[in-house]
Amino acid sequence: MQKEERHTGLVQKFIARYRNLILSDASSVSATPLSKDRYKSLKIRIFLVIGTLAGVPLVMITILSYLSLQGAFKEDFNNQMRGNIESTRQSVEFFIDERISALRFLAAANTYAQLSDERVLQDLFIKFKREFGEVVDLGVINSDGIQASYAGPYSLQGKDYSNQDWFHEVVIRGVYVSDVFMGYRKIPHFAIAVKKEVPERGTFWILRATIDMATLNRYVSIANLKSRDDAFIINHQGILQTQSRYHGNVLEKIAIEAPRPSEEVILSEVRQNGSTPLILGYTSIKKSPWILGMTVASTAQSKLLDLLTRDMVSAYLAVFLVFLGIIANIKFSSALVNWIREAELEREEAIAQSQHSGKLASIGRLGAGVAHEINNPLAIINEKAGLMKDILLMSTDAHINKEKFIGLIQAISDSVTRCKAITQRLLGFARRMDVRHEEIDLNDTIREVIEFLDKEILYRNISLETRLKEDLPRIISDKGQLQQVFLNIINNAIDAVEDGGQIMVSTELRNHDRIRVSIKDNGQGIAKEKIKNIFEPFYTTKEKGKGTGLGLSITYGIVDRLGGSIQVESEVSVGTTFHVELPVRAEAQ
Amino acid sequence: MSKVKVLLVDDEVEFASTLAERLQIRGYEAKAVFCAESALDMVRSEPPDVVLLDLKMPGMNGVEVLRTIKKLSPSCQVILLTGHGSEQSAAEWAADGAADYAIKPSEIETLVAKINRANEKRLK
Repeated sequence: MQKEERHTGLVQKFIARYRNLILSDASSVSATPLSKDRYKSLKIRIFLVIGTLAGVPLVMITILSYLSLQGAFKEDFNNQMRGNIESTRQSVEFFIDERISALRFLAAANTYAQLSDERVLQDLFIKFKREFGEVVDLGVINSDGIQASYAGPYSLQGKDYSNQDWFHEVVIRGVYVSDVFMGYRKIPHFAIAVKKEVPERGTFWILRATIDMATLNRYVSIANLKSRDDAFIINHQGILQTQSRYHGNVLEKIAIEAPRPSEEVILSEVRQNGSTPLILGYTSIKKSPWILGMTVASTAQSKLLDLLTRDMVSAYLAVFLVFLGIIANIKFSSALVNWIREAELEREEAIAQSQHSGKLASIGRLGAGVAHEINNPLAIINEKAGLMKDILLMSTDAHINKEKFIGLIQAISDSVTRCKAITQRLLGFARRMDVRHEEIDLNDTIREVIEFLDKEILYRNISLETRLKEDLPRIISDKGQLQQVFLNIINNAIDAVEDGGQIMVSTELRNHDRIRVSIKDNGQGIAKEKIKNIFEPFYTTKEKGKGTGLGLSITYGIVDRLGGSIQVESEVSVGTTFHVELPVRAEAQ
Repeated sequence: MSKVKVLLVDDEVEFASTLAERLQIRGYEAKAVFCAESALDMVRSEPPDVVLLDLKMPGMNGVEVLRTIKKLSPSCQVILLTGHGSEQSAAEWAADGAADYAIKPSEIETLVAKINRANEKRLK
């Protein structure tokens, strides 16, 4: 039994949630337009929730993998650029080293006296040029800085270099590589000079070669460059030593911020005014006054984007998958909502079904009572008619018994009236739930209902007082259904009070267009926490078997359909008042 | 042979008195009372031969009244008047001492036959 109660409790909770739906539409199982909207918004909400649940992790994973890919890509990109710069530097350094070594070899293999001879030098120059190419001239300078001999296109014999910086430098360092300068035929050149010590005489001499910069340019431009990238050599003053594609011409100041000398390869981001940022990589070239620089127009990020957008198949696939996900989500939300809708419809049908069977059960109980009540007048009719027959059979003169006959016939008529009243009530109760509008006097309706309950009121010694306001407007409503409403509520009041209790039924006009019927009892009352449940189907506080728990829910449904409302005031052990408010003119719902 | 004394017990005054009158016409010494207390008083003061007892009266249990009557006057034959009957309830009523039962409303001939049969049973 306890289990059953708990079960009932659960059912009530479940039903409570859908009470409005049930009660506003108890007799119809088809979905109303309002509930269609409800399902639509439910569908949208489910779609959004699933979309969020699936979409947020997807977006997060995408962002995270993009970031980590970007990091890896950036490192890869930087390493590649570093390697590029490194290898170019090595090429350039090797080129310079090679020439310095060649000059040193020449200086070591020949004496000053030999090389001072123009013809010997000319011969060496030709051989040197054949081996290394791009050598413009070759010259020997003595320790005073005077050109001792010269092989080349100029006439520099006897030129004094003693005041020039490069001369001092080569004296101190033993080797010197010059900045680029415009020389023969307006072609950029640079000079390499090596010092040859003559220890036995405590003196020295210098061998100097001028080399066409085009050779070095080849090494620099070998650096595998894309169309918007650039590679160049500058000196410490920021003067371009080679032709740059974007940052200026040879021997001009470089257009971007000049890189500083550095042993290591340095990568940095530079911004030109207004244009896209550049990645600048640079490093010093050893044994020279030069810095090798390289710029890449696109950053690692833009390269990555290039890479991703170039891979259109994955992009299409991603879009397709997202699209597929959205379709699946829509399908799933619709299916889910359809399941919910079907379940609700089934439940509504079950409720309608049980309301119907509850009604049948009440009719059955009522029927038994009515049959018993009808039996008594029938028995009276039987005896009265029988007595009349007896008298007629025994007497030959009917006139003698006229008075008696009239009395007997009257008793029969009264008994028939009694039976008729009972059957009318039964028919009224059994009438279908359709709303029928007719003009009725609410006070009369209430009086009729009370008449029906008279006997029980009498047996239980309950005092039922009526304060019916006269001159109430007649209302347009359904009499049979209203009778059912008041029968239900007054019946509940009778059940609620002790023997000898008090019930008061009153009517009043409110706002000219509504009539309020109040049924007040001094019964045990309803606890506050239970009041909210009393209109729910299957909720009952009566003993097991005494109530179906459907009375008030049916009542609520009827009043609602008739455009009225029900309020309850109750205090435990003081009593309960039900207020039923009905419109004078019921709007068909 | 003296008249058979019949006591009618029913809260429906019209029914009880009319039936009593009809039984008187048929030669019975019939009396009608309208509540259990009067019936028991009658059984004590002048025990009837046959009692026609309505099973359902407000505020009292017909079977209780039956038992009391049988206790006060075991020879008294009680016929129960009921709205409905069945084999099962008839057996129960017989166990409580009822001689017979009749379904309301019933024809006077049926009732008279039942009364006579009950009276014969009493005389045996």
